[in-house]
Amino acid sequence: MAVSTSSVVLKSVRKSFGAVDVIKGVDLTVAPGEFCVFVGPSGCGKSTLLRLISGLEEASSGVIEIGGRDVTHAEPSERGIAMVFQSYALYPHLSVRDNIGFGLSLAKLPKAEIAAKVGAAAEALQLTPLLDRKPKALSGGQRQRVAIGRAIVRDPKVFLFDEPLSNLDAALRAQMRIELTDLHRKLGATMIYVTHDQVEAMTMADKIVVLNGGQIEQVGSPMELYNAPVSPFVAGFIGSPKMNLYDGAAAGMTCKTYGIRPEHLRLTNDNARWTGTVRHVERLGADTVIYLQVPGLGDMVVRADGDANPAIGAYVGVSPLVGREFHYT
Amino acid sequence: MTPRQRNTGLIATAVATVIFITPFLYIFFMAMKTKKEAALFLFSWPSEWHFWANLTEVIQARNYMLLLAYFNSTVITVGAVTMLIIFGAMVGYVLQRRQSGWNRVIYGLVLAGLIVPPAVVPTIWVLQGLGLFKTIHGMVLIQVAYGLAFSVLLYRSFIGTIPRDLDEAARIDGATPWQIFFRVILPLLKPVTVTLIVVQSIAIFNDFTNPLYYLPGKDNVTVQLTLFNFQTQFQSQFNLLFMNILLVTIPPLLVFIFFNRQIVAGMTAGGVKG
Repeated sequence: MAVSTSSVVLKSVRKSFGAVDVIKGVDLTVAPGEFCVFVGPSGCGKSTLLRLISGLEEASSGVIEIGGRDVTHAEPSERGIAMVFQSYALYPHLSVRDNIGFGLSLAKLPKAEIAAKVGAAAEALQLTPLLDRKPKALSGGQRQRVAIGRAIVRDPKVFLFDEPLSNLDAALRAQMRIELTDLHRKLGATMIYVTHDQVEAMTMADKIVVLNGGQIEQVGSPMELYNAPVSPFVAGFIGSPKMNLYDGAAAGMTCKTYGIRPEHLRLTNDNARWTGTVRHVERLGADTVIYLQVPGLGDMVVRADGDANPAIGAYVGVSPLVGREFHYT
Repeated sequence: MTPRQRNTGLIATAVATVIFITPFLYIFFMAMKTKKEAALFLFSWPSEWHFWANLTEVIQARNYMLLLAYFNSTVITVGAVTMLIIFGAMVGYVLQRRQSGWNRVIYGLVLAGLIVPPAVVPTIWVLQGLGLFKTIHGMVLIQVAYGLAFSVLLYRSFIGTIPRDLDEAARIDGATPWQIFFRVILPLLKPVTVTLIVVQSIAIFNDFTNPLYYLPGKDNVTVQLTLFNFQTQFQSQFNLLFMNILLVTIPPLLVFIFFNRQIVAGMTAGGVKG
C-alpha cells in the first residue's frame, strides 16, 4: 500500500473549557507515516489534544494542519481522519458488516463497492465469519477489531486511537499491540495513539510525546526519552519500574533532583553508595525487583537478576552504574 | 416452590381473574342479549343469542357512524403517536446532549407540562384563533401537546444511558446531526418507543373527554363518542351500547396483549442512570 503523505502539524494550539485551560499552547509536527504516541498521566490533556485533531472539539486558538491543509475549523468528516474509541463505540443495533460500512453508506457509495470494501477490511482483520453478528455477540478483542475495521474502510490519511487497548485483558493487549504495529507497517498511514500506559508507548511508537498539565514535556523516540529524559517528570514516566527520584540535597548532590533507574543500580557489598533494609521482594523470574528502605532517602527500587533473593529485613548495599545517573537542576 | 407458595399464587390468580374478567364477561353477555333482556342488567347467560343482529345494527347505526369513528380515531392515534415519538425523542436528545444553562429551565417547563392540568376553554380559544377547532389535525396537535411531556421525560432519561462516543463515532463517519439522530440514536430508543406506542395509543384511542370538548361535529366523531348513539334521554338500548363498547375495546386490548412485555422493559429501561 502507498505510504501516507499526510503530516499532522499543530501550531500553538490552545483549548479552554470555560476558565480552565486544558491545552496550554502545543506545537507539534507528526511526520507522514509516523506512529506517534501521546502519553501522560490522567488529566494531562492527551485525550483532549486528540479530540482537537479529530475535530470533535474545536481549538480555542492556534492552527491544526493535516496533510498540509488547514483544518482548524473543518468538520471531523472533512479532515480525512478515522478514530478508534476506548469504548469501541460500535453501533449496537447494526451488524458487524453495517458497522464497518456505516460511513460508506452515509457517503452514498454504490452497494457493490461498500460490500467489496467491507469484505476486504474484514478479511484483513479476520472478521469475515463474524460479519452478520451484532456487537454484543463479540468478545472484547473482536469488538476492537471491528472498530479498527470501521476506521480502515474510510481509507483515512490519519488514524487516531484513544486508549484503544485499556479495556482488554493483559494477554490480549500484548497481542493487539503487535497487531496494531503490523497494521501500521502494512498501511503506512500516519497514526496518533493516546495511552497512559508507558509500555504501549515504548513498544509501539516511532515518536513519543509526553504531556504534562496541558503542555508538551518532551518529544522524541522511545530510546531518546529513556536515555535522555529532559525533566524528572519524563524520567519518572518512561521506564518500568519507575525511576527512583530524590531531592538532590538529601542524596548528597548539588543538583535539585537526582534520579537513578532501578535497572541501573547494582547490589554490592564493597564501597556501596547506599545501604538499606529490604522491605519487599518481587520475583518475576527473569528479574527480581527489590524494594529498599534507605535511611535519609526513603524508598528505593532496585532491579536485580532473577536469582537474587535477599531476605526481608536484610541490609544490602547498592551502587549506581557509572554514567547512568541523572541530575536535574 | 412450596405448596404454600403455590396456593397463594393460585388464589391470587383466581382473584385477579374474577376482578378483571368478570366485567368483560358482563359486557360480552349484555352485548348478546335482546333489548328487553339487557334492560334488566342481570349478570346472566343470554336467553337468545343476538350477536349478528346487534353487531350489524351497531355498525349501521346513524349511517355507519362507527366506521367513520374508527377511521377518525385511527388517524388521530397514528398521527399523534408518530409525532409524540419523533418530537419526544428529538427534544429528549437535545436536552440530554447539549450543554446549555437553559436546559434546566426547559426541562422544568417540560415537567410543568406533567403537573399543570390543561384548561379547556382557553385551549378552545387558541384552537379557534388558529383555525384548528373542530378539525382532526387540531385534535392530533392537542393529543401531542398533552402527551409530549411524558415522552420527553422517558426519552431523556433513556438517552442518558447511550454513550456519547456513539454520537462522536457517527460524526467522524461523516453523519450529519439529522443522520446521527435518525440512524444511530432513534433505533437505539426502541424499548422506550414501544412503551410509548402502547401507552399513548391506548390512551389516545380510548380518549373520551378531549374529543368531546375539542372535536364537536357529526363528521368528527371518535370511537368513544359513538357510545352516545344508544343512550338518550328517554330511551337507551343497552344491548347495542354494550356491543359498541365491546367493539371499541378490542383494538387497544390487542395492542396491549401483544406489547405488554415490552412496556415493563421500557418503563424500567431508563431507570438505572438518569
